[in-house]
Amino acid sequence: MSFNQITAALFEGFFQNCELFALTLLFAIPLGLIVAFGSMTKIKPIKYIVRAIVWIIRGTPLMLQLFVVFYVPGLLFDKPMKSRMLAAVIAFVINYACYFSEIYRGGIESIPKGQYEAGHVLGMNRKQIFFKVILLQVVKRIVPPMSNEIITLVKDTSLARIIAVAEILMAAERFAGRGLIWPLFYTGIYFLIFNGVLTVLFGRVEKKLDYFRS
Amino acid sequence: MSVLEVKNIKKSFGKTEVLKNISFSLEKGEVLSIIGSSGSGKTTLLRCLNFLEFAEEGIITVNSEKIYDGKLNKKMKESEIRTKRLHFGLVFQNFNLFPQYTVLKNIMLAPSLLKIASEKEIEENAKKLIERVGLNDKTDSYPCELSGGQQQRVAIARALALNPDILCFDEPTSALDPELTGEVLKVIKGLKTGDSTMIVVTHEMGFAREVSDKVIFMADGIIEEEGTPEQVFGNPKSEKMKAFLSKSFENI
Ligand SMILES: Nc1ncnc2c1ncn2[C@@H]1O[C@H](COP(=O)(O)OP(=O)(O)O)[C@@H](O)[C@H]1O
Ligand SMILES: [Mg+2]
Repeated sequence: MSFNQITAALFEGFFQNCELFALTLLFAIPLGLIVAFGSMTKIKPIKYIVRAIVWIIRGTPLMLQLFVVFYVPGLLFDKPMKSRMLAAVIAFVINYACYFSEIYRGGIESIPKGQYEAGHVLGMNRKQIFFKVILLQVVKRIVPPMSNEIITLVKDTSLARIIAVAEILMAAERFAGRGLIWPLFYTGIYFLIFNGVLTVLFGRVEKKLDYFRS
Repeated sequence: MSVLEVKNIKKSFGKTEVLKNISFSLEKGEVLSIIGSSGSGKTTLLRCLNFLEFAEEGIITVNSEKIYDGKLNKKMKESEIRTKRLHFGLVFQNFNLFPQYTVLKNIMLAPSLLKIASEKEIEENAKKLIERVGLNDKTDSYPCELSGGQQQRVAIARALALNPDILCFDEPTSALDPELTGEVLKVIKGLKTGDSTMIVVTHEMGFAREVSDKVIFMADGIIEEEGTPEQVFGNPKSEKMKAFLSKSFENI
């Protein structure tokens, strides 16, 4: 097999990583905000339940969570997961929503009380205060931790291999089975390039928010 | 007729009674200074007027309209609180400007959201206020590019943009370097000629004496002494006031 053929085959696998990455971000970013509000609500039962869930998800390996999502529906409800990718997306979204929620919560709680009070005294309502005063300050504060987490996500997508999602590492392993080891190492390049692009992108966002200090 | 009448305000946090029985009134265009040592309840009083805290008891009347009654406060809806608090403005000790907006936008934000006039009128008015606090050249600056004194002047303009009946200041110069207090006090002094009714919590005794029509000295949640600056500073009756004054001037 030629270098180009192998590059193409690995690309096919990496496409699965990208798909998992994109879907996880798409759902985990908003779900994380809901979880964050849940973990900060004044309604105590909801707050404690949400915080317990976050604690469990953050306290156990993502790999284990992949197994649970993939096998438990079949074992308990006799409804086996039909799509491996779907199982991976569900596990990743839940896992990352919990991580994001903690970042959001930290960001929201770090905004000084005076910002809310200034808004109130000026006659704004809660929604206006959150969207017009608080949100952008939170975004500025969470860009660095979010970029870390998102770069971790890129690498984590290869964990989906464990439930046989045909992602890039699994594609490379097929070559290894035929005695061709180097494609396995070659996969690193894909991750490096992807994360390189992301790093540049986040750097731009950070720079864009540099015009104010809070 | 008084612009503001405050009657028997009581406020506790848990078991500590912070405001014990505060009553006073204020005429239109008057400046009231509130002095007193730290912890005496001055900030809490201003926060009760602005509905950042809710007094358990007492009545607040503005322009003969009863806007707050401690007995009924549980029934106040959020929208009602929002309308009523607009009778008051509050300038904070540490400014609390919105860091992501320019000076102009800081001043325009609330009036635009509340749609108190057309966008064009709001902008014109904001620019006039910026001129009034002497920051013409800073219209498009961000708060982080300003000195503390300049930030506080923006905060004053921002509060004025909503045309409050009574403008409250909570130690407006306490967070500033000494050389910057003058410019802020000058702006506040300037507002007096502009007919604004003001309540100023301050440690600047010279300022209180020169600018106020009325001075209140608070100690442990009560009004210990009140009167014209001449009475309170020149001829204090209470022992606490005398002790407070001698301590204040020791520091100078
Ligand atoms: N949110 C609060 N919870 C509990 N105690 C408070 C709170 N706010 C103020 N206090 C207490 O109330 C007293 C008066 O505080 P404050 O009004 O800030 O005084 P001042 O502004 O005159 O220094 C202080 O003893 C303070 O500890
Ligand atoms: Mg105070």
